[in-house]
Amino acid sequence: MFNRDFWSEIFMALRRNKLRTILTGFAISWGIFMLIILLSAGNGLKNGVTSNFADRIQNTYHIWASFTELPYKGHKANRYIMLNNKDIQLLETLYQVEEVSPVLSQGGTLIFGEKSKSVSMEGVKPIYKNIEGIKMVDGRFINENDMKNKMKVVIIDKNTSDELMRINGVSTMIGKTVFINGLSFTVVGVCKGQPWGDYGQCYAPYSTLQALYNVNRYYQLTFITRGLNTKEDNEAFQKELKKKLAALHEFSPDDKRAVWIDSQMVNSLETNRIFNTINIFIWVIGIAMLISGVVGVSNIMRITVKERTNEIGIRKALGAKPRSILLSIVMESLVITTIFGYIGLFCGMGVMEIVNMVLKTGEVATGGGEMSVFVNPTVDIKIVVSATLVLIISGVAAGFAPAWKSVKVKPIEAMNYR
Amino acid sequence: MIKLNNINKTYFGAQPLHVLKGIDLEVAEGELVSIMGASGSGKSTLLNILGILDNYDEGDYYLAGKLVKNLSENQAAEFRNKLIGFIFQSFNLIPFKTALENVALPLFYQGVNRKKRNMMAMEYLERFGLKDWAEHYPNELSGGQKQRVSIARALVTSPKIILADEPTGALDSKTSAEVMQILREVNATGITMVIVTHERGIANLTRKIVHLKDGVIESIEENDPDKMDFTKEIK
Ligand SMILES: Nc1ncnc2c1ncn2[C@@H]1O[C@H](COP(=O)(O)OP(=O)(O)OP(=O)(O)O)[C@@H](O)[C@H]1O
Ligand SMILES: [Mg+2]
Repeated sequence: MFNRDFWSEIFMALRRNKLRTILTGFAISWGIFMLIILLSAGNGLKNGVTSNFADRIQNTYHIWASFTELPYKGHKANRYIMLNNKDIQLLETLYQVEEVSPVLSQGGTLIFGEKSKSVSMEGVKPIYKNIEGIKMVDGRFINENDMKNKMKVVIIDKNTSDELMRINGVSTMIGKTVFINGLSFTVVGVCKGQPWGDYGQCYAPYSTLQALYNVNRYYQLTFITRGLNTKEDNEAFQKELKKKLAALHEFSPDDKRAVWIDSQMVNSLETNRIFNTINIFIWVIGIAMLISGVVGVSNIMRITVKERTNEIGIRKALGAKPRSILLSIVMESLVITTIFGYIGLFCGMGVMEIVNMVLKTGEVATGGGEMSVFVNPTVDIKIVVSATLVLIISGVAAGFAPAWKSVKVKPIEAMNYR
Repeated sequence: MIKLNNINKTYFGAQPLHVLKGIDLEVAEGELVSIMGASGSGKSTLLNILGILDNYDEGDYYLAGKLVKNLSENQAAEFRNKLIGFIFQSFNLIPFKTALENVALPLFYQGVNRKKRNMMAMEYLERFGLKDWAEHYPNELSGGQKQRVSIARALVTSPKIILADEPTGALDSKTSAEVMQILREVNATGITMVIVTHERGIANLTRKIVHLKDGVIESIEENDPDKMDFTKEIK
């Protein structure tokens, strides 16, 4: 059945109606193209957003303090709550808290050779690297030994490191001694930084900075938890923690603003939910576009079959079986949808590959410090396979109705048509 | 070869039209029969029923001993492909296929492979003096050439019966004579043939002339074509 003659008949029919074939095909190409672009963009957005905290472990928490919303126990509203060492102690007594890393923020000036630069220095524990997903470019992060011995070591961000290297003509900053607020620190690591203006970002051991500055005020505390695996667990824990902090700082447990307790896991779940919704939305749009393409093909096939009524009548008179006529029309439609579908598919994937390449070179140019909105915007093989299936099904569907009609018509009516 | 019992056919259009009103007819194997009658008398309708291109409402039609009634589309296709060859007034060649491809098409539906198909088609084209026209498309051929192509196409499957609806209707008298000569030669090889015509000259070349009037057979006339003088024009 599907021999060379069969196919040559089909391709002859397609070639005979070049314009028609191309116009119909275009609708299908466009539908698939847009579907791929949308899906890739959706993927890219998701990859982009999740990659910004992909290296962070999930069971992490951030706490910020802020202004109170409600008056409570003789305190007026809008009182500023400052986190302190008592909060750290409180957290450490909680069963669910595995390890706390305060964020001891200390602004200052870094001086190395000819160059001085404003930096924000944060005293943190080794675990902070995982909590924030900090990526090392060179050297190492703070370790337990630094903590125990209160070492005066520092990790600087890549932009700062590059700047210092360039101005001082050195090839690495690792092992160099820099001065921060007049105190000497040894650089042990370089990390990817967040591009917050012209500020450099440094990390030093919490114990070291605590000993140097004797701090009892924190804008932010971070910690990792154990045994909190679901959204419900986390929400219950958040509630309990809030109550305890409220008691400690004398603010209303109903106060929504005084402290912010932020769970990475809850955020991730929320983000995933949003992206799943976006994904569904994209499929709906894409499928709708495809359907309009398929309707187009079906319409054109109807017209084609009508134009070919006489020919089909003649073929029937010569002994063509219904199956042969049905198949030739369905296959014609299938060939159009598949060929042009794949053109759309490959164009879409090509465009997204180019976008991907541009993004990658862009990342290199900016030192990789950017928050990426768009990462690896490509589609995986699963989507290609399902798109193929959708194409085949829609091709058959588009051809079937007109084909069936032409099978049903009596040969003499077909021959005398017009 | 053909046996019709009380065939009735009504077209259900805006107004039902009873076209065939009880046709009884027998055609023996190898016979050459013509059907004559006024325009609208139902000649084509009858021929289409014989060719299983159309269905009938009442009666029985036996073709080569088999009852042709309520056939599936597949069975009908088999019959048309293996037993029947058609020749039409308007040729009904497929315009985008060459003469050779047109002639080979019925063999395609028999599953004959391309090489053999083209060889056989070529043989028939040669037989009708169309060898040099094999690669031409129908619109590059004259009326007589087109009709000869369609005769070749009708014969290529070696059918038992040829049904021709006004085969000379679109041809001038000289070409008509040539085509009729070919058809008579084909009949002489033993193939049964039914020709619809409204030209007496054509009917005179057949052995049996069926006169149709308003959907009934008025008379069946025996005729001796050998009395005809072929050197004369037939129209
Ligand atoms: N498909 C159809 N639907 C309705 N009426 C039809 C149809 N085909 C033919 N008729 C009518 O049936 C009658 C017989 O038609 P038919 O074609 O058999 O005549 P004919 O004898 O071949 O005439 P002609 O010599 O003009 O070809 C005519 O009145 C015609 O109008
Ligand atoms: Mg007629």
